[in-house]
Amino acid sequence: MKVKKISEYTSMEWISKAVAACLFVLTGLNAHAQDVDTAQADSLISKQDTITQKADSTQEILMPGEKPKPSKYIAIEGEKKKLLPFMGFTVSADVLGPIMLLLSDNHHFEAALRLNMYNTYFPIFEAGYGFCKIDDYNTKVKYETNAPYARVGVDMNILKDKYQDNRLYVGLRYGISRFNYDLSGPVMADPIWGGSEDFDLKGIGCTSQWGEFVFGLQAKVFSMFHVGWSVRYKMKIHETKTQYTNPCYVPGYGKGSFFGTFNLIFDLNWGKGKTEKKTLLKAEIKE
Amino acid sequence: MENTAYCVLAYYDSEETAIKYLDTVTVSTLMPGWKTQYIYRRLGTTTIVSDTARHALIEQGYTQTVVTQRNEKVLVNRSLGVSSIKVPMSYFNPVDTLVFSYGSISLKDTLYIFKESYPHVDYPECGTYRFHHITDIKYTDAAFDKIEISNPTVNYEGQENIRIHFNGVDQ
Repeated sequence: MKVKKISEYTSMEWISKAVAACLFVLTGLNAHAQDVDTAQADSLISKQDTITQKADSTQEILMPGEKPKPSKYIAIEGEKKKLLPFMGFTVSADVLGPIMLLLSDNHHFEAALRLNMYNTYFPIFEAGYGFCKIDDYNTKVKYETNAPYARVGVDMNILKDKYQDNRLYVGLRYGISRFNYDLSGPVMADPIWGGSEDFDLKGIGCTSQWGEFVFGLQAKVFSMFHVGWSVRYKMKIHETKTQYTNPCYVPGYGKGSFFGTFNLIFDLNWGKGKTEKKTLLKAEIKE
Repeated sequence: MENTAYCVLAYYDSEETAIKYLDTVTVSTLMPGWKTQYIYRRLGTTTIVSDTARHALIEQGYTQTVVTQRNEKVLVNRSLGVSSIKVPMSYFNPVDTLVFSYGSISLKDTLYIFKESYPHVDYPECGTYRFHHITDIKYTDAAFDKIEISNPTVNYEGQENIRIHFNGVDQ
């Protein structure tokens, strides 16, 4: 009985030892396999580094006579454009003037030439021809004139981004018009002393000068075609005085202190293509 | 539509102080042509002056006198205690003659205003005005001390045009 027990104990012990040994062997094999994978990975990474280094070294190699490219400036290429003293001009026509022919007793035809300096300052010359024919139904007083006028001035683009096609501007104008006007009315009859006299004055000469504050905007529609509007506050600087009347309409000035324009604009802007990159390259070549 | 521009005559005393004249003042102007007037008098009653014949007064015992005199028109009737008056001006006459009659003084004063008149239009919708430019004045001195032009342009602004200095000092 004892022997049998001992043998049972021995066999169980051997089985357990065998199992433990197998587990140990399996664990050891697995660990070895992992070590092999890590080593292989390390070797691959080192190979890639070598390739990258080779590639870098290949880029830095220059051919004889070749100069290094300004790689640090390439990142900002196209973002920095250069503002030039003269970047083009715009030609515009006022649409509101002819429309007033249908709505009012006065109208005008007007065109403007505006230069572009640094995309910021815009010296402008405006010229036009104004017409007015008033025949008041109640008072029977008639006023008629038509004459050319001109304005010169400057606009300033107040947008922070000077490179875009749209512009918001404020400006000043000086305007002048020399014209003759006719003024007539009903027969003047003295209600107390009696007597009457015709009231018909022809060709009264007048020269008027005025200033304007301008606020407006210009927006790109497509390609070089833009539209824009402006509102203007006007003040007369000097006007030829006559005892008969103050001219109620001055060509270019209009009737009142406020006026506006709506312009169709043809914008020729050749300065926008210039970039900072080109300038930098030129600078480096000089070095 | 016609608008009348008035000449503003302001009252001052002889020491350049603006005053309110405390006597009745009637201002009339001589018109072109002549007119017939009928004057009725009766002892113990006031004299009656009429532009038409009044036979009823003759029946009451009045005597009638017919006179022909310059046609005149009252521009300011019995103003009292005012500091200025406004009178219209003729459109086409080179001289306007204003006759001043006083309540407390039997004498009358005559003021001659020499002027140039011209049409004026500010805006066609406002109609026509007749403005005047006073070039000279002449006057008698029954109650007037002196008269001067303060603003020769007579327009619709209503500024003082003529200063009339009466005899005496405001107290």
